[in-house]
Amino acid sequence: MNPENLTPHGRKLLDRRGFMKNTAFSLGGLGLAQLLAAEDDPISFSGKTPIRPQIDPDNPYRPRNGHFDAAAKQVLVIYCPGAVSHVDTFDYKPDLAKFHGQKPPGIPEVTFEGTTGNIAKPFWDFKPRGESGKMTSDLLPNLGALADNFCFIHSLHTQTSAHPQGENFMNTGFTMEGFPSFGAWVTYALGSSCQDLPAFVAINDPRGLARSGKNNFGNGFLPAAFQGTDFNAKNPPANLGRPASLSAADDKSTIDLLKRLNGKHLERYPNDANLAARIASYELAGQMQLSVPSMMDLTAEPESIHKEYGTDTGSELKREYAKNCILARRLIEKGVRVVQLFNGSDPSGGNGITNWDSHSNILETHAMQAEIMDQPTAALIRDLKRRGLLEDTLIVWATEFGRMPFLQGNGTGRDHNPDAFTCFLAGAGVKKGFSYGESDEFGAKAAVDPVEVYDFNATILHLMGLDHERLSYYHNGLERRLTNVHGHVIKDVLA
Amino acid sequence: MQTTFLLRLSPVFAVLCASLPLRQASAVDFEKEILPILTETCLDCHGPDKQRSEFRVDQRAIMLKGGDSGIAALVPGDPAGSYLIEVINGSDPDMIMPPKGDPLTKEQVALVEKWIAEGAEWPGQMDAEHHLTTDLWSFQPVVRPVVRPEVPGDAAKPVDAFLAARLKEAGIAPNGPADPRSLIRRVSVVLTGLPPTPDRVESFIKESSVDADSAYERLVEELLASEHFGERWAQHWLDVIRWAETNGSEANLYRKNAWIYRDYVIRAFNEDVPYDRFVTEQLAGDQLGVGEATGFLVAGPHVPAATVGREPSAIRQARADRMDEIIQTVGASVLGVTVGCARCHNHKFDPISIQDYYSLTAIFQGVEFGGRYPEFSEDHPRQQRARELRAEMSRVRSALREGAGQWEEDWGGFTEMQFPATRTAVLRIEFDRPAVFIDELQVYGPADYNANLALASVGTKLVEDPEMADAGSLVGRANDGEFGTMVWKSRAPKDSKEKPWVEVHFAETQEVNRFRFSNNREYYFETDYLEKKGGGGFPGYRISAQQSDGSFKEVGKTASARELLKQKPGMKQAAVRLHELIARISEEGPRHSFVGRFEKPVVTHVLHRGSPENPRDEVMPAGFEILEGDLGLDSASPESERRLRFAKWLVRPEHPLTSRVIVNRIWLHLFGTGIVPTAADFGAAGAPPTHPELLDWLASEFVRPTVTESAPWSMKSMIRLLVMSDAFRRSSLPSEAGLNADAGAALLWRYPPQRVEAEVIRDGILQASGKLDPSLGGRSFRIHNEKKTYAQWEVVNNHGPETWRRMIYQERMRRVDDRMFTAFDFPDCGQVRATRPVSTTPLQALNLMNSDFVVEQSNFIAERAQKEAGDDKEAQVRRVFQLLLTRGPDADELAACLPVDLSLVCRSLINSNEYAFLP
Repeated sequence: MNPENLTPHGRKLLDRRGFMKNTAFSLGGLGLAQLLAAEDDPISFSGKTPIRPQIDPDNPYRPRNGHFDAAAKQVLVIYCPGAVSHVDTFDYKPDLAKFHGQKPPGIPEVTFEGTTGNIAKPFWDFKPRGESGKMTSDLLPNLGALADNFCFIHSLHTQTSAHPQGENFMNTGFTMEGFPSFGAWVTYALGSSCQDLPAFVAINDPRGLARSGKNNFGNGFLPAAFQGTDFNAKNPPANLGRPASLSAADDKSTIDLLKRLNGKHLERYPNDANLAARIASYELAGQMQLSVPSMMDLTAEPESIHKEYGTDTGSELKREYAKNCILARRLIEKGVRVVQLFNGSDPSGGNGITNWDSHSNILETHAMQAEIMDQPTAALIRDLKRRGLLEDTLIVWATEFGRMPFLQGNGTGRDHNPDAFTCFLAGAGVKKGFSYGESDEFGAKAAVDPVEVYDFNATILHLMGLDHERLSYYHNGLERRLTNVHGHVIKDVLA
Repeated sequence: MQTTFLLRLSPVFAVLCASLPLRQASAVDFEKEILPILTETCLDCHGPDKQRSEFRVDQRAIMLKGGDSGIAALVPGDPAGSYLIEVINGSDPDMIMPPKGDPLTKEQVALVEKWIAEGAEWPGQMDAEHHLTTDLWSFQPVVRPVVRPEVPGDAAKPVDAFLAARLKEAGIAPNGPADPRSLIRRVSVVLTGLPPTPDRVESFIKESSVDADSAYERLVEELLASEHFGERWAQHWLDVIRWAETNGSEANLYRKNAWIYRDYVIRAFNEDVPYDRFVTEQLAGDQLGVGEATGFLVAGPHVPAATVGREPSAIRQARADRMDEIIQTVGASVLGVTVGCARCHNHKFDPISIQDYYSLTAIFQGVEFGGRYPEFSEDHPRQQRARELRAEMSRVRSALREGAGQWEEDWGGFTEMQFPATRTAVLRIEFDRPAVFIDELQVYGPADYNANLALASVGTKLVEDPEMADAGSLVGRANDGEFGTMVWKSRAPKDSKEKPWVEVHFAETQEVNRFRFSNNREYYFETDYLEKKGGGGFPGYRISAQQSDGSFKEVGKTASARELLKQKPGMKQAAVRLHELIARISEEGPRHSFVGRFEKPVVTHVLHRGSPENPRDEVMPAGFEILEGDLGLDSASPESERRLRFAKWLVRPEHPLTSRVIVNRIWLHLFGTGIVPTAADFGAAGAPPTHPELLDWLASEFVRPTVTESAPWSMKSMIRLLVMSDAFRRSSLPSEAGLNADAGAALLWRYPPQRVEAEVIRDGILQASGKLDPSLGGRSFRIHNEKKTYAQWEVVNNHGPETWRRMIYQERMRRVDDRMFTAFDFPDCGQVRATRPVSTTPLQALNLMNSDFVVEQSNFIAERAQKEAGDDKEAQVRRVFQLLLTRGPDADELAACLPVDLSLVCRSLINSNEYAFLP
C-alpha cells in the first residue's frame, strides 16, 4: 500500500474502510479508482478528482489509457534554450521599421541586463510564406516554408526573465527547482507503446545540457522510472553497453546466474510484485541494449535523408544537430512517447555560441544558431509528415521567453522579454496554418488572447488526452500538477 | 457544508450588548445604508450558507480578519487600506466584486468608504473577536494514552502492545521472530547503512543460540555506538531538508565548505544531541557555539540576486523565493506541515494563515543564503587551533613590523598591505595597471582591529579619476560593504600613460595602518571548483597619505615592500612563515563556510497573493497563531533573538507537532512507512495515523521518558526502543493469511520487506570489496569536473579510488545526474523529501550491470575472496556470498556458481533481488 499514490480523500476512505484491505499498486489502484469515482474529492483545488495511472508493477512503461481520447499519441518537443527572438522570426511587427532608431515613450529604462536602447526593426526581412501567406523572416526560411502546417501562438508570456527559471517554467511548470518535467508527467500518465526503448528520450544538444540541466527532463518527485533517458546521435545512455572487459558469454553467464538467484529468492517470497518488477526490469534493460544502438545507427538511412536533414553540409554543430533530428524521427517512428530535442546548451559549448541568447551582436549570433536549427528541423517535420507520423504526433516548438523590440544599451543585441514570445504547435490535433493571440504593435507585450505557460502546458496535455487538473501526484502535502493551480486549455488552437 | 473533515474557521464571538454609541447626524447608518448593500450584493456567496474564500460579510470580526487572501476587508478608519473597497471599486482587475452582474454604483462605494472612514460602526458586533480554531488531530495536544497489554506479560513492551491491539482487531496472527541472519542484516543496515561483516554474522548467530535476547541487545548497542550510525541517520535528515552543496538555479555554483554542516549533523546523531537541542542549534547555532549548524537554514536551493537581472522586481521576487525555501525547510523537517501553502492565501486545509506564513518569514528575515565564519565555542577544536596560529602570526607580524615596516599579505580572497601607522584625512592608492576592478576596498587602523574605516556607511567617500570611470560600475561600489560581482571598474584611456587611482576621503582624520581589497571576494569565499576563481591576480599599487599641508606622502608601496623582504635579513623567511600560517588557519581554523549569513532584518509585510510587489500589513516575527505563537517580538527585535525564541517555541514539550513529526520519521526509517504515512504532511491533506495512540504514546515517551532511563528528546533512545520491539524483530516472510488481510503489512504482522536505498547498495559493495575508507567526515569527494561559471557540472570519475568513501560524502550536486545512482531515486535535492519514491527501471539494471564501478568492484570482491578463501573455488564462492548476502550458498546455488567466473558471480549477486531488498 503506497499512500503516496492516493488522493487525500482516498487515503481517508481507505482508513475508514480498513487500511489493511488493499494490496500494493495493482489491486489497490484499481479498487481505489472505483472507490474514488463514486464520491467526489472535495479536497482538490480544482474540485476534480485526480486520475491515477494504473501502473503495471512489472513494467511501469506499459501503455495506459489517458483521461479521454487523445488527438496525439506521441509528442516531439523541440526546445530552443536561450530565448529565440520572436520579432526576428515569426512575429511580424511592421511598426518596428516605422519606429526604428527611436525610443518612443513606454520603453522601460532598465531591463534584465541593464539600460535600454532604441527600437530596432527586424534584423531579417519578413515575407509571406505558403498558402496562408504567414509573414516569417528570412532567418528561418526552411521552417518558414512550412508555415501552413503550424499553429503559432504569439501571445505567450512568462513569469521570469532569467533563463534557468524560464526553462524550468516551460518544462516543469514551476520556476523553482525540483519539479517533474513535462515528459515525466506524460510518461507517468501514459507509459509508452514502445517496449524496447525508453518511454521518454531527451536528445541533448551536441554542446551539452541546457541551462536548467536535468530539470528539463528530470522526474522531480515522481518515481525515477519516469525521468527522461538522456542520449543523442553521438552519445549513448550511460552504462548502456557491455563493459569493454567482458564478453558476450560473460554477460550471458552473469544473467543466467542472476535469474537462478532471483528465482530461488522469489520462492521464499512468492507473488511479491516488487521482486517480480525488478526481474522484469532486467529484461527491459536487455531489450534496450539491442534497440538503442540500432536507433543511433544512422547508416541505414538513405543518402537522400542525410541530404535533406543536412548531416553533410554546414557547420559541425549543424551536422551533429541534423543527426539528432534523424534520431528523433526514428524514435517517434518506433513509438517512443515523448522525445525532447534540444537546440542549444548552457554557455559552455563550442563555436563561440551555445544557444539563442543574443545580448550583443544578434545579427551574427542568431544567424549562427539559425543555421544549426533551420534546415534539420524543417527536414524533420517534413519527414514526419511524409511518413504520416504527424497524424498521431504532436510537435511543440518552444523557447523560454522572447526578446525585446528595442536594443540593449550596447546597440547590437536584444534583451530578454518575458512579456511576449512565440512558440508553435504542429501535427496531431492542432489547427494548421493558424495563428493564435497577438503581441502589441512592437511585440513588447502579449496583447490579444494572452497565453500563460500554464495554458500552453494544459493544452499540450489535453492534446495528449490528459486533463491537466486531474493529472496529479501527491507530494509533500499537495496534489501537485504540471500546471500548479492554473491553466486553461486553449480551445481555439484545437483542430 | 459537504465536507466533513475539512478544516473550517469557526468564529468565536464575544458579543457584548453595549449601548449604541451616539452618532453625529451626518454619520452613515449601518443598518439602513450599509447592511442592505452587503446583503443584496455579497451575502449569497459570503454569508451563512456559503463562505466563498472563507469569507462572510455578516460578521464584522471576519471582515476585520479577511478571507482566504488574509487581507483585512475592513480597516476601521482607513478605507484605502480596506480590501473591501479595492474589490468593489474595481481597482484590482483580477478581483472585482460582485463577480457577476452590475457593479456597485459610485454612490454606494462612496457610502461604504464613508462608513469605514467613520470607524465601520456595526451595532452589536463592535466587540466580536474571531480566532482560528481547529479540530485537526495533529494540532491537538499530545495526550499520553494508557498502555493496555493485549498479551499478559507484555506490559514491558508498550510498542508491541499497541500493535497487538490492532492485529487482534483485524484477526491477524503476527509472524514469529526473524532468523538471526536476516535480523542482523536488517538491523545493521537500518542503523548504520552497512551490512554486517561475515565475522560478526557468525558470532551473532552463535551468541543467539545461547540467548537470543541478550545477543540482540548487545548487537543493537554496538550499532548505536558505531560512528556509522550518524552517517546513516544524517542522510535521512539531509533528504528532508534537500541539503546539497550547490545552489541549483542559474550557474548552480558550488557552496564552499557547506559540508561542515553535514559533519555537524553526523556528529549530532552520533553524540545523541537531544532533539530539542538539535533543532535549536540548527536555528540559532551562531548563539550556541555551533555556528556551522545553521547550514540547516540555507540547505535548500536558492536563486542568487545577481543572476536574475537588473530589474528590481525580479530581485525582490528572488529574495521572496529564497525566504520560501527557508520556510519549506523548517516546515517540512520540524513542523511536518506544508507552511508554503499559506504563501499566497490562507492555507486551504490547515489552520495556518497567510499572516502565519509571513510571521515566520519575519523570523528569518535577517537570514541570507551565503557564507560566514561560523561561531565556535572556545573549546571547539577549530577555535583552539586558531588561537595557537594567531598567537604565532602576531609574533611574526611584530618581526615584520620592526624589520621591514611594510609588507603584503595574500589571503587568497583578498590582499592586504600593512604599513606604518599614519594619521590622515585622505588616503590615495595608485595602481600600476591600466585597468582595475575591485568589489570592495577596506582601510583599518590600530585603534580597532576590525573596524573598516573606508565604509560609505561611516561617512567615508571614494573619489576616482572621472576620465577612467565606467558609468555602470562607479567607485561607490568599492565601499558599499558588498562583495561579489558588483565591482568598481576603472580603465585608463587607450595610449594614456595614466593609471587608475582612488582616494579614500574619511569624514575626519584617522590613524590607519592596513589597506585591503579584492576583485571578487564572494566567489573566493562562497564557491569553489570553478575554472576562474575569485581572488588572486592582484595589481601592485602605491599608498600615500595626505599631510596637513595638503600634499601626499607615500606610506606603502607593493614594489618597495617586496624589495624590503629581499634586502632585510630574516624578513623573507618571516613573510614565508606568515603565509604558511595564513594557509594553515584558513584550513584548520574556523573557515568561511556556506552556512548562511545574517543581516539586519527589514520590516516584514504580508505579500498579497504572494507577490513582493504587493506588500500589505506589517507582521511581527511569530510562530503559528493557533499554537500560541506570539513570541513577544516586533519589527525592531534583533535578528538573532528571533531565531532563538522561535526555536524555543518549536521545542516546547507541549508543541503538538514537533515530537509527533520526529518520532514518526524515526518510525518511517525503521519500518519503511510512517505511522503517519505522509511524513512531511501532518495536515488535513495528509494521511491520518494508522495507530494514533501508538504515535501519541511515542511522542510523549520521547519528550518525557518513563519506560527507560533515557534522557528527554533522545533520538538514540527512541530508536533503541523501537528496534528492540517484537515488531521490528519479526520475520518478513509472507503468510497467506497475513497477505490476504493486510498485504502492505501496515499493521506489521510481518516486518515489511523493502528496497534498500542507493547508499546501501553502493556502500555495501565497497565494504564487501574491502575498499571502503571508513573515515568520518571532512571534505566531500568529487565525481565532477571544474567548470566555468555558466556551465553544467559533468561527471568525470564516479568509480576511482578517491570515491571509495561512504556515499554521504559524495559531493551533493543539485540536479546533476551522477550517472549511477540518480536512477535509484537518489534525490536531486530540489524538493523536500521525507520519503524517497521507490522506482524500478531498466536504467537501474544497466547501471548495476555495466558501470565501471560495479565491474571493478566485482573484481575486487573476487580478489578478496580468493585471497581469504584460498584456491578452492567452492570456498571462494561461499566467501563472496558471505561478503555480499550475509549467508553462504545452498547446494543448488553453489552448483550454479562453480562454473562461472568468480567476479561474474559477484556481479550477479550485486544485481540480485536479495541484495537489493532488506530481509
